[in-house]
Amino acid sequence: MNIWETITGSDLTREYKAFDGRAQALPADHRAAWEQIKAELLPYGDFTGRNLMPILDGALGLLEETAAQGQGVDEVLGDDVAGFCAALAGGEGSRTYRDRWREQLNKNVAKKLGRLGG
Amino acid sequence: MDDLTEMLKGTLEGCVLEIIGGEETYGYAITRQLNELGFGDVVEGTVYTILLRLERNKLVQVTKRPSEQGPPRKFYALNAAGRRELATFWAKWEYVTTRIEKLKEGGR
Repeated sequence: MNIWETITGSDLTREYKAFDGRAQALPADHRAAWEQIKAELLPYGDFTGRNLMPILDGALGLLEETAAQGQGVDEVLGDDVAGFCAALAGGEGSRTYRDRWREQLNKNVAKKLGRLGG
Repeated sequence: MDDLTEMLKGTLEGCVLEIIGGEETYGYAITRQLNELGFGDVVEGTVYTILLRLERNKLVQVTKRPSEQGPPRKFYALNAAGRRELATFWAKWEYVTTRIEKLKEGGR
């Protein structure tokens, strides 16, 4: 990853396109599940969403594998896509927007307090 | 039996470890085996997330092999740490079940 890609996230756009290209080859119900997974995982993204890439790749791989085996999407994900996504993202140690906000808030408060005390 | 999900949550990882401990296997086969055992609620996605966790915690050895259809498949086998984890799981299982049995029989 070069600096240009880091700043613009152009590598991510490319990767995203590649994902969607792969998703096009999926049967309709798997493709719909893919859209849902993307939407569910979004809140788990860090600032650039870079942390989601390997997770998305794995989820797409699972959909591809199961589609090739002729499994229906309900056999793969059941009725709890949100739970599936939480489990996917949770263990990854992925920091969410909320974590970042919290951290920032803590830091600001600490700074203010420090100034008051000093 | 339906609606076992909540109760299964803590034990499913151990079940998957046990299945992998039997022989090297892959996600779909594990799901099928659990379904055949009577855990119909378990879907492949659930097993997938467990396998990810096991992999991350370095309890399994993963080998990618080409499959007849579709993308290559990941096969899982227990490593030494995985076998230790499995032994711990059964010890905990023993502990919990004996106590719950006792409770059921009215003992204290």
